Amino acid sequence: MSRTASLLPREDAREGALFFVVCALCFLAAFSGLVSRAAYAAAGAWTSEVSGELTIRVRGSDADAQRAVGIIGTVSGVASAHLLTRAESEELLRPWLGATGLPESLQLPRLIAVDATIDAGEAIAAALKASGINVIIDDHAAWSSDARRATDTIGLIALSAVLLLGATGVAVIAFATHATLLARRDIVELLHLSGAKDDFIAGLFERRFLMLGVQAGALGALLAFGAAAFILFAIRQSDGQAWLLPQLSLSLADGLILGLAPLVAGAAAMLAANVTVRRALSGMV
Amino acid sequence: MATAMEIPQRNLMADQDISTDEPVLRLDRVGLSYGPDSEVLADVSLALQPGSMTFLTGPSGAGKSTLLRLAYLSLRPTTGRVSVFGQDTSRLRRNDLAALRRRIGVVFQEFRLLDHLSAYENVALPLRIMGRPETSYRKDVADLLDWVGLGDRLEARPATLSGGEKQRVAIARAVVGKPDLLIADEPTGNVDEDMAERLFRLFRELNRRVRTTVLIATHDMALVRRARADVLRLAQGMVVKVNLPEPRGENT
Repeated sequence: MSRTASLLPREDAREGALFFVVCALCFLAAFSGLVSRAAYAAAGAWTSEVSGELTIRVRGSDADAQRAVGIIGTVSGVASAHLLTRAESEELLRPWLGATGLPESLQLPRLIAVDATIDAGEAIAAALKASGINVIIDDHAAWSSDARRATDTIGLIALSAVLLLGATGVAVIAFATHATLLARRDIVELLHLSGAKDDFIAGLFERRFLMLGVQAGALGALLAFGAAAFILFAIRQSDGQAWLLPQLSLSLADGLILGLAPLVAGAAAMLAANVTVRRALSGMV
Repeated sequence: MATAMEIPQRNLMADQDISTDEPVLRLDRVGLSYGPDSEVLADVSLALQPGSMTFLTGPSGAGKSTLLRLAYLSLRPTTGRVSVFGQDTSRLRRNDLAALRRRIGVVFQEFRLLDHLSAYENVALPLRIMGRPETSYRKDVADLLDWVGLGDRLEARPATLSGGEKQRVAIARAVVGKPDLLIADEPTGNVDEDMAERLFRLFRELNRRVRTTVLIATHDMALVRRARADVLRLAQGMVVKVNLPEPRGENT
């Protein structure tokens, strides 16, 4: 057997319960972090898809529409301008009007799809106005703004959840450390009276709780990864709903969140143990 | 039956031999109370010279353990001053107090062994705290446990030891670091007469060879008489020096 056994007993039922609590908190925190990251990623994907895209409705004849395409093409910042064919317009209306086709007599709006820089809208409007062509320009700004606001809110809620779970974890660990310390007061006192410095005694508890935090945090992060992977798999299996979550996948940022969880849990556990032990020691001569 | 002559403690320091050495332990008009009506020590003054051996006696509840706790820096006095190795403990920082405690070996009345450690690990504890590598003390610890009759119980946990065996482990732990001051609270209370004599010889050896100053609280007056050491008696919160007659048939 080892003759330099740990000065703190290995087995402690309280630590088993604490391990479970820290693991659960880390799972929730890591999962919230992944949700938050996914929300931002989705918002970025949604808005980047429409940013720089303009849809221009021409109030006039086909000739006006053709003339407008020519004028738009001369504006600085415009990459392309394309007058939608009737078939393309019908395709856009298919989700609302069905696939049975529209009566030939039904007049469809004359739409021009423009791919341009974000600030080109005003120049296009000015050029068309100067040419006497009456148009309505939709740069999707309102939709993008709403989407960004919604995802910002989701992200803020997730971030708040992460912070709340982190603070709860620190408080729980501090409480558990204090309980362990009370149960091990005989050891702490003996070490203290034998000449051990506060750093030495605090170090024993710090190492113990650092390891507990890292291990519990790693397991919690692993479970969060499993849950996220399962949800991704489920979404990809039901492609009917996948359009809601563009480009959703596990990325390097997710790996960073999962990797940080055990480190943060370990650091929080160590800090809580340090503060609690030193506070208890300060009550001794 | 030998009789004791008691001298009021207030003159105690004046009665002691004048030494050029700084007292290892000095209590100056120390009082300690846990509340308005719970005074344990009233006005205690004493000084232990380096290399001295002193017994502290007195009835149960007289405050012997409290006085020892002051000496091994587990308590602060309510009034007065405690100096250890010439240093006023009230003026020291925490790390300096820890350094002083490393020079003090303590045999606690309730042993205070760590249940999850073996007898060997319990004895080696002060050396681990000092930061010494295990290879440097392995043989010393084993030899010391052998000396106190526990050479075959090195790996035994305290739960499997008898009261007397625990006491011997506690004593071995207190002396393993060859402390400058050894404080023992009823160190022979749970062992038979032969083992008590053997343990006392250990204290005496340490006292003579290493010049460890020894302070022992005990009820064992037979041991005290055989020891021919200084005797202090604590009663009603005061300390008095006791002069015991020499054991019959022995020369001084």
